[in-house]
Amino acid sequence: MGAMRSPPAARVFLVIVLVFGAAASIAVAAGKSGAPGQRAKPAPQPPLVIPPATPPATTPPAPGPGETDETAALPTPSSAAQTLYSAAKADLLQIRMLLRNGRSQSSVGSGFLVGTSNLVLTNYHVVSQMALDPDVYVGEYVDTDGKSGPVELLAVDVLHDLAVVRVNRDGTGFFQVPDKPVKLVQGQYLYSLGNPLDLGFAISEGAYNGIVTRSFYEQLIFTGPINSGMSGGPSVTAAGVVAGVNVSKRRDGELVSFLVPVKYAQELLRKAQEQAHPPKDFNPLIGQQLLAHQRALIDRLLAEPLSIRTMGPYQVPVRESQQLRCWGRSNFRAEAEYTLDAVSCAMEAAVYVSDTQQTGHVSMTHQVLRSSALHPLQFAVLASSRFRVDSIGAGRDTRLTRPACTEMFVHTATLPVRAVTCVRAYRKFAGLYNFTLLAASTDDPHASLQSRLDLAGVSYDNGLRATRAFLSALGASHARPGTP
Amino acid sequence: MNGPWFIELLARNGDVLQRQCVDKLPIRIGRGYDNDVILDDDYAAAAHAVVELDAAGRLLLRDLGSRNGIVVSGRRLQEAELAGDTVVRIGHTPLRVRAADFPVTEELLDRTFHGWEGVLPGSVGLVLAGAVALLARWLGDTEYFEWARYAEALAGGLAAALLWSGVWAFANRLFGRHARLGRHLFVFGSGAVAVAGYALLGSTLGYAFSAEGFTHYASLVATLLLAAMIYFHLCTIRPQNRVRYGWICAGLAVLCSSLILAGNVQRTGRLSDELYMPVLMPPAVRLSPDHGVDEFMRDVEAMKGPLDRSRGRKPGDDEIDN
Repeated sequence: MGAMRSPPAARVFLVIVLVFGAAASIAVAAGKSGAPGQRAKPAPQPPLVIPPATPPATTPPAPGPGETDETAALPTPSSAAQTLYSAAKADLLQIRMLLRNGRSQSSVGSGFLVGTSNLVLTNYHVVSQMALDPDVYVGEYVDTDGKSGPVELLAVDVLHDLAVVRVNRDGTGFFQVPDKPVKLVQGQYLYSLGNPLDLGFAISEGAYNGIVTRSFYEQLIFTGPINSGMSGGPSVTAAGVVAGVNVSKRRDGELVSFLVPVKYAQELLRKAQEQAHPPKDFNPLIGQQLLAHQRALIDRLLAEPLSIRTMGPYQVPVRESQQLRCWGRSNFRAEAEYTLDAVSCAMEAAVYVSDTQQTGHVSMTHQVLRSSALHPLQFAVLASSRFRVDSIGAGRDTRLTRPACTEMFVHTATLPVRAVTCVRAYRKFAGLYNFTLLAASTDDPHASLQSRLDLAGVSYDNGLRATRAFLSALGASHARPGTP
Repeated sequence: MNGPWFIELLARNGDVLQRQCVDKLPIRIGRGYDNDVILDDDYAAAAHAVVELDAAGRLLLRDLGSRNGIVVSGRRLQEAELAGDTVVRIGHTPLRVRAADFPVTEELLDRTFHGWEGVLPGSVGLVLAGAVALLARWLGDTEYFEWARYAEALAGGLAAALLWSGVWAFANRLFGRHARLGRHLFVFGSGAVAVAGYALLGSTLGYAFSAEGFTHYASLVATLLLAAMIYFHLCTIRPQNRVRYGWICAGLAVLCSSLILAGNVQRTGRLSDELYMPVLMPPAVRLSPDHGVDEFMRDVEAMKGPLDRSRGRKPGDDEIDN
């Protein structure tokens, strides 16, 4: 029964295609992409509003015997590392997030005392729980002697993933955050400090290898081991000057790690020192930073008209840049009566808000289905099943409102499409929304262009602006025979 | 009131299981072999009761001192007056006594098509169910052609038809007199065609006239069609209860529809089955004019107010009110 609504064969086949497609594209992404951030690895397909989250700060449970990776042994510590560690260890801290109720720890990271002050630099993602839900979480530091004390959050920079906290002791002055940007030479030794996997304080040696251009915000490539738990720790030169703050690593690479350049830490420290008292509620502040992020993001996305690519009989808008990377795929191997070509462009980094919420992300996907062998009705069923999306984002995600959708048959300059836009609002951050545009061409009984644009964490105006630009740019190619 | 008299042993639903004619009063009833009416009921006494006329000429059933007595409408009585419709329970056996001059109701008008029974409607039903299964498979088939897949679909469709109709036929044999499998197969086949037809027609209308409601609420129509199917099955079993079955099925449809709507609201915050109409048909189907991008964007802009209002509400109580 239910012939149009749920043809069982089509459902099963769709699932198979999706599974294979997703597996193939993940394999491609893992094999080729060179993007930063362990927490930002959006597979090109299927389109995701937000790339899969991997909490960088949280330490996974200790591995069982035999699970330890013995191939990636640390390089032999040099005498420089020994000297540095013994000089630095007094100012090195572990930062823990504890549940207020029961005081059991929920995540751990690292941090360091700046100069002789009582200010500690760390990553935002180490203290995000405390910033978002201060009623539930409380911070605590533990130093290399095992002494602990409370932590007070002073300032956060969500976009660069930095935070400043205050503790009840002063630094010895070892970690100097220089006023001027630190000049680094490619290949220069850097030493990264922290508490990897909550096993104990450690120093690891590696090399500076330039600046990542793939992420929206500048990060340094550190070719050395950074494990979760070391997030927020310092990376210093042999002379002891702080060059960056440990932030993340690539899970699919070997020793490919990332640092936040120290110049952003300088700005944040200045801000923390200038404010009379720390904000009571960090949520509005984080909301403002996310708004600033989306402003820059959408301005950069729409700075020039989207570039137009030809996909079979259609013209589709894409934006390919250092931050927005495109991948293509095709179903030529599947034994089917139709061809599917897809291109998807996605940012490979998103802004980390909490371990379950990442935002400030853009992705766009185009699929062209074509078949001359299928009857128009069969093709219609195939196209409908691919156009069906049951939920926009996680259905019961309570940090967002339910989606509100608009659906209409629209005619762009050269192409009639069925367009659907669904929008969800962020509950905690006023003025931020997730936009999803789905469009399917309605001009050809044997071909279907299906496009999707996802904008996560944008203002309503910017969402409208980008949606309009994307939708208007969908078109039929001029070289197409037999269409008016 | 004249003889002969008929003692009718009844089933719980009122059907006569056994009828015995007795020419003269009194009529002795019990388990013993010296009775006029012998009850094979372990709870009846050997000489349980007797039917006789009282001084006023009324027909009476009198307890002969049994352990379990005689029960009328749940009350144990020493003696019960027997109108033609009075059902008396002796032990576990309900029975009634009627005289030969008991007036019966007029015969029902026979509206049954007796030519439309058996093999003919059965094969039509099977053909319809098989056709729907084949159509569904054909529509969803995007792989290279293979006989086996269509044979599989056909077998599946026929098996479903036989299973469903078999259950109804069993019930029919149980509560009616005949199995009427052919009729039930026909009802199933027609139901399948109706549901498939709506799926196609609703999608086509929705797509042609931008009338998304046709697919947004398709599950309600499916519920209605299913209720209608059950109604026809029930009427096949007992045509005389048409009106009652109509009400039962209407109630069932309303109940299921409200459950579906409530489920939709809980799942997506809206009444409709889906966020949007995902149907794409061949362009030739489309009849209404398309809108401009500006008009679309105006509608998108208009969602901001409801969304912002929804932001302030608790999760779970945040239906988008547009």
